[in-house]
Amino acid sequence: MAQTYDVIIIGGGVVGSAIARELSRYKLKIAVLEKELDVCTETSGRNSAVLHAGFNNRPGSLMAKFCVEGNLGFDRTARELDIPFKRTGKVVVGFDEEDLAGLKALKDQGDRNGCPDLELIDHNRIKELAPFIDGEFALYSPMTGILNTFIYTIALAENAHQNGVDYFFDREVTSIARTGQSMTGIHRVSPEYEIQTKYGMSPEQNSLSRTPYDHFRSRWVINSAGLNADVIARMLGNSDYTIYPCRGEYFILDRKLAPYLTMPAYPVPNAKAGGLGIHLTPTIDGTILIGPSAEYIDAKDDYASTQSVMDLLIEDGARIFPPLQANSIIRSYTGIRPKLVSKNKGGYADFVIEERNTYPQAVNLIGIESPGLTSSLPIARRVVEMIGQKEDLQSNPDFDPNRKGILCFKDQTRDIQRSLIQSNPNYGEIICRCETVTRAEILAAIRNPLGVATLSGIKVRTRAMMGRCQGGYCQTRITELLMKEKNLQPQDVLYLRNSSNMFTGRVRDI
Amino acid sequence: MNRTFICIACPVGCEIEARIEESSEGPIILEIAGANCIRGRTYVENELKNPTRIVTSSVRVTGENISITSVRLTAPVPRNRMMDVIEELRKVRLTAPVSIGQIVIQNILGLGSDVIVTKPVDISGV
Amino acid sequence: MTAHDVIIIGGGPAGLAAAIELKRLGVADILILEREKDPGGILRQCIHDGFGLHRFNESLSGPEYAARFIDQAKEMEIECLTNTSVLEITSGKQVTAASPQGMTTYQARAVVLAMGCRERTREAIRIPGSRLAGVYTAGVAQSYLNLKNIMIGRSAVILGSGDIGLIMARRLTLEGAQVKAVFEIQPHANGLPRNIEQCLNDFNIPLFLSHTVTNIKGRNRLEGVTVSQVDDNLRPIPGTEKDYACDTLIISVGLIPENELSEMAGVILDPRTHGPIVDENYQTTVSGIFAAGNVLQVHDLVDFVSLEAERLAMSVAGYLETDTLLSADFSKDSIKTSTKKINKPADFAPAEFIPIEADQSIAFTVPQYVSGQADFILSLRVRHPVRNCQIVLQQGDQIIRSVKLRKAIPAEMIQIPIKSGDLVSREKITAVLEYE
Repeated sequence: MAQTYDVIIIGGGVVGSAIARELSRYKLKIAVLEKELDVCTETSGRNSAVLHAGFNNRPGSLMAKFCVEGNLGFDRTARELDIPFKRTGKVVVGFDEEDLAGLKALKDQGDRNGCPDLELIDHNRIKELAPFIDGEFALYSPMTGILNTFIYTIALAENAHQNGVDYFFDREVTSIARTGQSMTGIHRVSPEYEIQTKYGMSPEQNSLSRTPYDHFRSRWVINSAGLNADVIARMLGNSDYTIYPCRGEYFILDRKLAPYLTMPAYPVPNAKAGGLGIHLTPTIDGTILIGPSAEYIDAKDDYASTQSVMDLLIEDGARIFPPLQANSIIRSYTGIRPKLVSKNKGGYADFVIEERNTYPQAVNLIGIESPGLTSSLPIARRVVEMIGQKEDLQSNPDFDPNRKGILCFKDQTRDIQRSLIQSNPNYGEIICRCETVTRAEILAAIRNPLGVATLSGIKVRTRAMMGRCQGGYCQTRITELLMKEKNLQPQDVLYLRNSSNMFTGRVRDI
Repeated sequence: MNRTFICIACPVGCEIEARIEESSEGPIILEIAGANCIRGRTYVENELKNPTRIVTSSVRVTGENISITSVRLTAPVPRNRMMDVIEELRKVRLTAPVSIGQIVIQNILGLGSDVIVTKPVDISGV
Repeated sequence: MTAHDVIIIGGGPAGLAAAIELKRLGVADILILEREKDPGGILRQCIHDGFGLHRFNESLSGPEYAARFIDQAKEMEIECLTNTSVLEITSGKQVTAASPQGMTTYQARAVVLAMGCRERTREAIRIPGSRLAGVYTAGVAQSYLNLKNIMIGRSAVILGSGDIGLIMARRLTLEGAQVKAVFEIQPHANGLPRNIEQCLNDFNIPLFLSHTVTNIKGRNRLEGVTVSQVDDNLRPIPGTEKDYACDTLIISVGLIPENELSEMAGVILDPRTHGPIVDENYQTTVSGIFAAGNVLQVHDLVDFVSLEAERLAMSVAGYLETDTLLSADFSKDSIKTSTKKINKPADFAPAEFIPIEADQSIAFTVPQYVSGQADFILSLRVRHPVRNCQIVLQQGDQIIRSVKLRKAIPAEMIQIPIKSGDLVSREKITAVLEYE
């Protein structure tokens, strides 16, 4: 038996979840089908976490338009979704005449795109804004900001869910068929789509799923499948696009270095490189990112770090950021860009957001790489617009744009911390020592509204295990809490994806 | 033949060089050097005849918040029986409270060693 | 604000020994702050034996060793708050701690740092490859098996021949896992020889020196690792790669003293030990803040941790009596000095102290400087294994103390007692390793 929806969104990343949230403003039955076990598992969470201003994008492109729009509106977004966000500003730094010409061109581009307050600045001003960054001149963008991509995506998803959207995890779409037609309430006969999915885990293992449905019917299909958007597009009869995975590796530096970097510092971009060049980005959590590299790879899921790139990052990194030492690296991670241009062609292609007559009511979003994060809500509104052109969308009177996140104990004043502990003793038990995460927050993360039950799910919702000891102290306590709350046997505990089982069983049988 | 042993009787871990000869009664030590104390020679003799080891492990305990506690043998047992000892320990089921030194198994497998609890578990199983 | 004479941060072996000795010396007002539900520190998960051979002339397990001190502390009615995490220490010795009962700031006359260590991670040594389930540091693996009753895998490879890794090789094997090999990047083993014997040789687990893991492979759970030989500079030699199928990788590549709180208080660390720079009284560069145990320097035998903590207790008792020991108070300058790059800890010796410098064959010495007016114990480690060597302590041309050793290895801390009478001048002391 199929579960029937008005709209099904394939892919629970930042774009899919933004679309879910925006669509939930209307009286529509909406579901998100996510292949993995949590939102934000792939590209959405593996980037520099920057809210771009929009000067890197070609005037007239969707990237430029949506990036500027998304940037300007983000203060409100952050307020509504209760997420951390900071407009740090950003410098793009150069040294010679060629660089200066590049910076001037960037500024022109940004001015044409409508980025406010871009400024070409000199060496002295660079020293004022970013004392530890070297450069002769720079483009200064005061509107650029930083955020936590996981928390943002989770917030979008939770807000969507709170407004009635169903999230299905562990559902990989295997086929989409146009079947029959159905009446809507507005006397229009519209095609219906039948979507087959498969579980990654066997039904016995899949204690996370809330319903046993594995196929779905829907009037609209939104393809926001990121790295696999070309695969889904082909299922929707659109074979024009190929996603070329382009991997970027990063290092995360100890928060001890935070005083040395107040805002993202980028080099002048090289047009053909396919990325923004190795740059430095402070994170909203107080660490520093160095990266990313740009390497076209074969497999869409090869997230491995490589020796050569790690060596390169240290070498290049130390040059542009003198405080960097090898022992300040606490972690490396990788992301894969869903590029629409091959290695030989180089550069960027614009966002593809299209609906075709041959497959009406199916919207393909393909090649949503940088500035996809910044553009997420404007992209979502565009999709809403496209749906609104074909049917009357009725407002959902119960829609609440406001979502409450997990309170961060560490960020509160001592007085507030004291009263939190008084009201809930679980705030007094510090589980993650490096990041000062309390039992109350761990429990809130385990009890998350989407029903996610992986160890990584707790990690990204609280920052536990993300500090310098990388879970050396807290991991055992957190897995214990997870097993107790979700009634899991040790062999069921998953790290991130299907088959990422952490344990094999008990030492002494219970 | 010459053989090097690392004595485990104490943390010093003396490196003992021994010249050994095979005889009809088994290996005999002709010469020994490098032992800081008499336990070294005893250790080498044992290692040749019948190497023995202390085994430490865990046993099941039923308590509210904990499900195992640690145990130790009181005397060394033949090295080739260690896995048999572990198998016996798998069968143990204690009930909280248990105290340090409490005998879990007496003369395990007839090998001349008791098994004692090394970490107490109180009634609430903490 | 509640005041105490002594606040001890950490109820592990160092903290407990310090508290008991302080009480014995007549200091009544002691408070131990312990973040776990029970005191005992890391000993709680060290269920193997070999503890207490020096101290009690018995071979005890970790929990038994801890119990001797825990019971004694209870008997002496020493106050120990468990489930209590210290969030902050100031150079003025104000200690803020949180527990389910609330948050409290205490004012201490003396603070004892006894927080122990954390483990060096896979990420910190930058092993290429995927991030997946099945990679555990040895201490975390030990905690899962021994405290949480969780089995982590079926076939394992261990990186690092440190003691914890060796102990886990045995533990995993006894619990039915197949430990295929131990790989050590250095040309010498890092753990105690007795552990190589009992944990590897007993089970025919091979140890490969001058090898390291160069790739971690698998989709979602570890499926195998690639291991390469390394050259004299510890860089992997291309062409020597070998693959090992396994579902578990244990990382045992070193301990790092956990001094985040110490740095908050302005304590200056020695980059060689990652622990506080101290004098012979175990007093740090902040007056009235003392350190002992693994937070000061990584120890190999807990028996010596207890002794060190007891020596610290004597100093703290003296400090409380006179309200100061001869010390430099760095607190005023601590913010400035802590951002200076430390080349030699001896650089930090205040004028009235005698700095101690180590040559390149000696990894470090603790203390890093002494007053010259008291007897003290000098702890040090050699950087590489040597035989038939001599450790020579000199002031200028004068040899003040020399110790002959049949062998010295990095895994074993060497302790040399020095009498104040041995010193001939106020000149710096150099520690030199002479060997063939």
